[in-house]
Amino acid sequence: MSEITVEQLKYRYPSSEHLALDGFTFHIKTGEFVGIIGRNGSGKSTLCQALAGLVPHFYKGAYGGKVLLDDLEVRNTEISRLCKKAGIVFQNPFNQITGSKLSVFEEIAFGLENLGIPKPEMQQRIEEAMELLGISRFRDRNPFELSGGQMQRMAIASVLAMKPDIMILDEPTSQLDPQGREEVYQAVSMLAEKGITIILAEHNMEKIAYYCDRVLLLHDGRQIDFDTPQKIFSREDLEQYGVEAPVFSRIGRALDKKDTATGCYPVTLEETTALFLGTGV
Amino acid sequence: MKSISLYEEKNSVLNAIAPETKILYIAAALLLPALFGNKMVSLFFIICSVTLLAISKVLKKTLPLLGVSGFILLTVVIIQGLFRAGNVTPFLTLGKVIFYREGLMFALKIVINVINILLSFCVLILTTKPSDLIENLVRRGFSPRFGYVFISVFQIIPQMTDTMQTITDAQRSRGMETEGNLFVRIRAFIPLISPVVMSSLINTKERALALEVRGFSSKNKKTFINDEKKIWVDRYLQAGILILIAAGIIWRIAACLR
Repeated sequence: MSEITVEQLKYRYPSSEHLALDGFTFHIKTGEFVGIIGRNGSGKSTLCQALAGLVPHFYKGAYGGKVLLDDLEVRNTEISRLCKKAGIVFQNPFNQITGSKLSVFEEIAFGLENLGIPKPEMQQRIEEAMELLGISRFRDRNPFELSGGQMQRMAIASVLAMKPDIMILDEPTSQLDPQGREEVYQAVSMLAEKGITIILAEHNMEKIAYYCDRVLLLHDGRQIDFDTPQKIFSREDLEQYGVEAPVFSRIGRALDKKDTATGCYPVTLEETTALFLGTGV
Repeated sequence: MKSISLYEEKNSVLNAIAPETKILYIAAALLLPALFGNKMVSLFFIICSVTLLAISKVLKKTLPLLGVSGFILLTVVIIQGLFRAGNVTPFLTLGKVIFYREGLMFALKIVINVINILLSFCVLILTTKPSDLIENLVRRGFSPRFGYVFISVFQIIPQMTDTMQTITDAQRSRGMETEGNLFVRIRAFIPLISPVVMSSLINTKERALALEVRGFSSKNKKTFINDEKKIWVDRYLQAGILILIAAGIIWRIAACLR
């Protein structure tokens, strides 16, 4: 069980003048799949890191309001304790490799060794994580010799083996080729099926629309909206926030086709086909 | 990926025994000659090291190391043989150049010492996987943070070399001269090194974040996925070496008191 509660969260980086996060208040339920969107520099990464505790513990800086993971207050909890609750995967798969391990198997063990997990349990958790991410056959490979998609799946496995209730993915596919991207998305949807709360910052709106239960729209470090993908992508002012709606919403908008039940434009292929076939266009 | 470690797995006895045993061996090889103040002890250890290296099939890999230091040692022999204060007995005359016996003897002592140090370290370095060494030290209470720094260097330096290569190619494709005489190379150095340093700094920050969220600063007692590197004979070897060192120290103290 892991709920996330954010109240009036404000944060400023030590060397900066303006707030990177300005007054966030929202609540995420256990097992929800939440997308974070917004243009570059809107605060997506900072927000992800605030949920994982890297903000403020790693960067220091000015911090206000609070973030609760269940009853753990992020501000008063060390990262080494928070990481058992919320795992985070970053953009660059390459820089997430510890560099101190010679095989994929050992690499995934790194976090577990630090937490002091007994060896038999470690082995079992690593096997499970590799299995789930489909990287069991690379177990003896050098981590640096994997492809980008494989590396990123290893990074996810490394975090997953620590059994967090919440998985935060900060643009996990932005540096991958289309195939690597697809591999990672399949892995992520598997995690979602397992009931892990997932928070995904991403630029690919089609993917956001397809996977997410709710979407958090950011602009300039402020929270603009937090709602279902249908509602978010039907907003008239999307473009001024530097976000381009999924192609399906744009088709809906161009043809002025709204779903009668929600009053919104469709956001996925399925919704679009249903809408158009249903009304006999 | 190219490795900068000199270690190579040869399934030898030295590969199998605990790294600590080899560290104790180095300690003995350096301490005992100093305690006894006798070249013969150094020679004994040189023979010992050579035998061990030969058994482990890595004797050949010591040659480049000996070659580099051999050059420096040669200069030591020449300088000491010609100019050492207290040179009186001529030993060898080449035209106008006279080598003296005292200087040569002194140089010989230095040569033996250096070779002894070099070979005993080879026993450790050529037969031990760096990560095994550090992991065993961390088990003995060595700081995991420093341990990480030492191990990661072996993978991160080759990565930086790769980055350097990529950047060199990129700059060359923009028309920068990177090959040629010394002046051209020096001029090419700055546009090459600044992206390498900048990207390394960024990578380091990102890697630090990734380490943190994997419990790197955790105060829990660490566990290890690999079993400790040791075999039954280690205990006896370590005890034996420690007794030898202790005996040497006692002998030395006794000799001073007499």
